[in-house]
Amino acid sequence: MTNTRTTPPREAPPGPRPAAGRRRGALRTYWPHYLAISPFYVLFLVFGLVPVLFSLYLAFQHWDGIGDMQFVGLRNFEFLVKDSTFWLSLYNTFVIWIMSTIPMLFLALVLAVLLNSSVRFTSFYRIAYFIPNVTSLVAIAIVFGAVFSTNQGLINAILGWLHIGAVPWLSNEWTIKLVIAWLITWQWTGYNAILYLAGLQAIPTEMYEAAKIDGAGPVQTFFRITIPQLRPIILFTVVVSTINGMQTFTEPQVLFGGNASINPNSGGPGQAGLTAILYFYREAFSNNDYGYGAAIAWAVFLVILLFTAINWRIVQRRDKGAA
Amino acid sequence: MELSRRRLLQVALFSAGSAALAACGSGSGSDAKELTLWYWPAGLSDKVVADAVKHFTQTKLKPSVIGGDFKQKLVTTLTGRRFVPDITGVKGEDIASLLVQADRFIDLNTLGADKLASQFVEWKWKQGSTKDGKLIGFPIDIGPTAMYYRPADFEKAGLPSKPEDVAAAMSTWDDYYAAGVKMKQANTGASMVMDIPTIFQMVIGQGTKRFIDENGKFIGDQDHIRNAWDLAIKPIQLGIAAPQAGEQDQFTAASRGKSPSLFGAAWRGQDLKNALPDDTGKWRVAAMPGGPSNYGGSFLALPKECRNPQLAFQIITWLLSPENQARGFTDAALFPSSPAAYTLPALTAPDPYFGGQKTVEVFGDAAQKIPVSYEAPSDAAVSAPFFDEVLSVWAKGKNPDTAWTDAVSKAKEIAERQGVN
Amino acid sequence: MTATRLKRLALHLALLAGVLISLFPFYWTAVMATNTTRDMYRTPPKLVFGPELFSNIARVFENIDFMGSLLNTVIVACCTTVLVLFFDSLAAFTFAKYKFPGHRALFGILLLTFMLPAQLSLIPQFVIMVNIGWVGTVKALIVPASANAFGIFWMRQYIKGAVPDELIAAARLDGAGFFRQYWNVALPAIRPGLAFLGIFTFIGAWNDYAWPLIVMTDPSNVTLQVALSQLNTSHNTDFSMVMAGALLAIAPLVVVFAVFARGFVADAMKGALRG
Repeated sequence: MTNTRTTPPREAPPGPRPAAGRRRGALRTYWPHYLAISPFYVLFLVFGLVPVLFSLYLAFQHWDGIGDMQFVGLRNFEFLVKDSTFWLSLYNTFVIWIMSTIPMLFLALVLAVLLNSSVRFTSFYRIAYFIPNVTSLVAIAIVFGAVFSTNQGLINAILGWLHIGAVPWLSNEWTIKLVIAWLITWQWTGYNAILYLAGLQAIPTEMYEAAKIDGAGPVQTFFRITIPQLRPIILFTVVVSTINGMQTFTEPQVLFGGNASINPNSGGPGQAGLTAILYFYREAFSNNDYGYGAAIAWAVFLVILLFTAINWRIVQRRDKGAA
Repeated sequence: MELSRRRLLQVALFSAGSAALAACGSGSGSDAKELTLWYWPAGLSDKVVADAVKHFTQTKLKPSVIGGDFKQKLVTTLTGRRFVPDITGVKGEDIASLLVQADRFIDLNTLGADKLASQFVEWKWKQGSTKDGKLIGFPIDIGPTAMYYRPADFEKAGLPSKPEDVAAAMSTWDDYYAAGVKMKQANTGASMVMDIPTIFQMVIGQGTKRFIDENGKFIGDQDHIRNAWDLAIKPIQLGIAAPQAGEQDQFTAASRGKSPSLFGAAWRGQDLKNALPDDTGKWRVAAMPGGPSNYGGSFLALPKECRNPQLAFQIITWLLSPENQARGFTDAALFPSSPAAYTLPALTAPDPYFGGQKTVEVFGDAAQKIPVSYEAPSDAAVSAPFFDEVLSVWAKGKNPDTAWTDAVSKAKEIAERQGVN
Repeated sequence: MTATRLKRLALHLALLAGVLISLFPFYWTAVMATNTTRDMYRTPPKLVFGPELFSNIARVFENIDFMGSLLNTVIVACCTTVLVLFFDSLAAFTFAKYKFPGHRALFGILLLTFMLPAQLSLIPQFVIMVNIGWVGTVKALIVPASANAFGIFWMRQYIKGAVPDELIAAARLDGAGFFRQYWNVALPAIRPGLAFLGIFTFIGAWNDYAWPLIVMTDPSNVTLQVALSQLNTSHNTDFSMVMAGALLAIAPLVVVFAVFARGFVADAMKGALRG
């Protein structure tokens, strides 16, 4: 993609450049900056670091939650590597993530562009599309369970009316994932659309005017101005969706009997809805194996790290290619 | 040395500086002005609890209804050692893992509970006691099981429909399945069996052994589990099981005459009434094939931090007197653990939902015949793969033999991880 | 002329179809809240509003201290939002527009903390709260949430596009120091972004469930979500009451969002014209 003159100046550092070496000098020069970012780090040190270290410590213990801990070395991790359920849960998480993130971000972008162009009723649409995000997940899980129910569900009623047979949505391995992905897409599309919209609104109107003068059509404008300008926000949504998607937990938990007294938190038939964090939750809190739970959580963390790094790279590289 | 180093690490990790010392202040002092009571929604009759608050004027009884994962919250609070309730409910499925931590609770026998033992069903009393005879959990309710069925659908298939006749004709699982085959042949569109994992659960509960024995040995690959597995799989092979579905779906199918029998404890009747309110008179209760088992039930316990054990124990025994247990049955479908309650009007009254049947005749009888089995703390964890696999056989048509092999090897892995061998 | 009108009509139709899908579960929640549990279990279930809303709400009020937990939730959500807006936007502005020794590593750490599964630290965090004596108080909900990686990351990305470097350079030439640049230049330009972050934070704090459920140990002093979960019983579920509670819990959020949404549209327009 070639550079147009409408691309804004990037990476023009307004702040002073770091002085080479000399730490004390750096502190004297940059203290306002360190002060400005400090609240987060202080809070993390006080409330976040101890739990993180504690869970790391736990990953090497056998602990039932109340009794004494027992040091087991790397045994939890040895189990983890061999544990087919863990790999299944990672696979499930990944499939659900793909099935939800791609339609979600695509629809959100389309929606944002539409909302940005439609002048009337925008605040109505904005509220309407955002409502799924504020609704209580417990209530929604009940609604989704009812809508996708085999015998009395609305979806199957419509399918029956169209003379297509009933689908056992919450019994089949793939449709279980589809319903979970649908729930996530439904809940987060409006949210991402509004993030994109915020980014769209921040693009100065002069850039579009300049493009018009240059004779650019709407498609050209979209790819040459809108997308490059929106890139930081797109990067943000991709990273956040990756992190949240890899941590999918509440949806399958409420859909597939977190309250069930027989075998709770198992993720439904064939364990098709057992995500990695749900597995962690099941091992730690349903089965009282806190050490193994911690080991699972750390493995998930590493996977998230890996995927986020990959996605960041992909989006960033495009960024550099375009700029 | 080893221990002190671990302690040191724990302290270093847990405490945020010197503030740690502040934690060990509460819970001491016996002249408490108030006693806190934790239970979950419908864990006790709210009316009985409200009366207890009025009745015990020497202290301020503060009841709290805790929603969500009750055990997680209780364990967290016990670990934190602050705001520990003076009296707490313990669910039946959690008692085994708390018995191991008996030193965190008061032995109720030291407060005179042993004199009351004869008033309660024996197996339940044992369930709340440690191996060395300390009573940790005082029985609230029990979950004697039975078969819920729809007489009209049974009749349509040429099967007996009166509770006594059904119980007599289907006293074993094989008889029950034979009736299922007959129902299939009658071509009424009904599949006898509503839920497969429940049958697996029920058959295990009818025996005296579970997945781990008293010596902490894994016995889930032995005949008693294999037998339960085979019995659970059989209706699928005979084609008399309804398709796998969620609970509400199953109830709906049942009300349409598609799957006319299910198994559950006494409280299951309340689920039916809630889910199918228009089905009044359409259900009956009969003794379960293969004998009774227990499913659910709960206890009250006194954590070590309890500020006034004597008074707390008085409150417990008051809350769980036969009369108040009977009220618990009326208000919250809690089936009494004290047989003296079975003759009280609250229980002997005919239930219109079950066509005027006196269901206590079935459940009361079952309650006293429940076999005692040892349940290890890690029983739930080790049994999970069996339930996952039996569900796979049912929902996905997985080969039962492969499923069994997978379940056993998975369960062995978990047993090893849990320190069971 | 008619072509553009037709196009606009098609656009609105497409948007309305999306609105229907978006609102349906919400609508159904409302339907369930206005009917009895019995009506919901009927086949086919009732799809229109019923007359039972007030009796359902009455049962909610009977069973939980709705007003008390509402007050707690409002306090927590408001305090958290104000603190987050300030701390996050300040940190984000710094990360977006300045390079200082260690800025890359520090931002990396920030992202790493974001990737830690939240469920992991629930229990140890509870133990910390016990030790500093904050258990059962709203402090335990507000303070740890008063600055977060998510918000800093979002504002950083937003500020990169929304605050022109030239403006900061100009302010610096005028002799404005770092904090003045933040206050006078950045803050006015990022109002729409702040409005979004504010809404998200408010909603997040409002709907937060797992942590309050653990840390608010005094059941008579809880937040709305925890109180709602107390309604959700294990065996006898009065769904219509739960739904009425859920409806009551989200109604204030919809109002907040409606008010804010109007505000930031206007702001965005002004910002664009001025810039």
